[in-house]
Amino acid sequence: MTLNSVVETDFPEEFIEEMEKSNDVLPKKIDANPENVEKGLAKLVLTLIELIRKLLEKQAMRRVEAGSLSEEEIERVGETLMKLENKMDELKGIFGLKDEELNLNLGPLGDLM
Amino acid sequence: MKLYLYGIIDSSDQITESIYGLESAGVYSIPFCDIGAVVSEISQPIRDATEGAVSEHEAVVEKLMVNFTVLPVRFRTIIDSRDGLLSMMQAHYKDFKDNLGRLHNKLEFGIKVIWPSDKIKGRMINTYKKSSEKLSVSNDSSNKRFMRDKFEKYKLDEEFEKKANKFINVMDIFFSKFAAEKKLGKLKSENLLLDAVYLVEKDNQDNFKEAFEHIKSAHKGFKFLFSGPWPVYNFVILPKKSGLLINSGQEDLFDKVIQHRDFVGANKT
Repeated sequence: MTLNSVVETDFPEEFIEEMEKSNDVLPKKIDANPENVEKGLAKLVLTLIELIRKLLEKQAMRRVEAGSLSEEEIERVGETLMKLENKMDELKGIFGLKDEELNLNLGPLGDLM
Repeated sequence: MKLYLYGIIDSSDQITESIYGLESAGVYSIPFCDIGAVVSEISQPIRDATEGAVSEHEAVVEKLMVNFTVLPVRFRTIIDSRDGLLSMMQAHYKDFKDNLGRLHNKLEFGIKVIWPSDKIKGRMINTYKKSSEKLSVSNDSSNKRFMRDKFEKYKLDEEFEKKANKFINVMDIFFSKFAAEKKLGKLKSENLLLDAVYLVEKDNQDNFKEAFEHIKSAHKGFKFLFSGPWPVYNFVILPKKSGLLINSGQEDLFDKVIQHRDFVGANKT
């Protein structure tokens, strides 16, 4: 006699796909070997920069929402955030990294982003 | 010969049933005080998590659960020697006893829910366009347009998360009625609304299943996956500095095998 465990769903393929998607963005370790050490390090550094960029962006949106930014300030913040985003895109391009690759699994705390 | 560890049981008695584990080796218990570590001998490390090997590990744990409370151990946990195993048992005896007491007579169930995120987002965009929450700026420079687009995304993301939490809370109220503990994974991807595990008393498993059927029928357009009952992989709690890593050479002795488990080693129906 065992537990008679079951997996019940009418959509097994879709669940497999979603589980794979959510697992794929969680690198368990930094891939640093002689062939791609640059990319491995770039991935780590860009992940941290991306986190800071997103925090800045979120803080700016909160201030917009609260109405505490003048039009001139919105203009300036917009220019800064846009330049930051463009620079990140450029760096991601150089190291062949996609958006979804810039993430880290923080164990029980969940994903970095 | 090394020892492959399947789990810790709440008894120092020998296993009377014939159980065979990995490499078809006989499974037996090594007692320590009033608990036991269930092992079989293994000649070489297991390099790959093949479906067959995961199923064999799972089958042993499930067989043990018929007669014992089991703390299931992570797949591929190998201990160098009997002495190493006994010193690990000695060091963590109290933790094992606490967990065995807490998890006695309980099972684990998994619930996953996919929601129609595209439709929900589409509706939100329409509502947002008609709302007064949009960022209004006088002239239309590229910097301001950028900020307007970012603000729209920020508001939509916020609304999306609120909506997700609302659905999750409703579902969780029903499941929690029959669960002792839970772990909720929210929005692991845009579509995967909920990826949860619940710890349920054996006597409550039918009620829990009924609650699932109720939630499922009340949410047309959502897709559900129910799995279990499982060994309590996700509910074994050990102190961070347990030191099991050093003794066993494993990353985490009680880590879950959920990704294999949900689609392997169970009767899909």
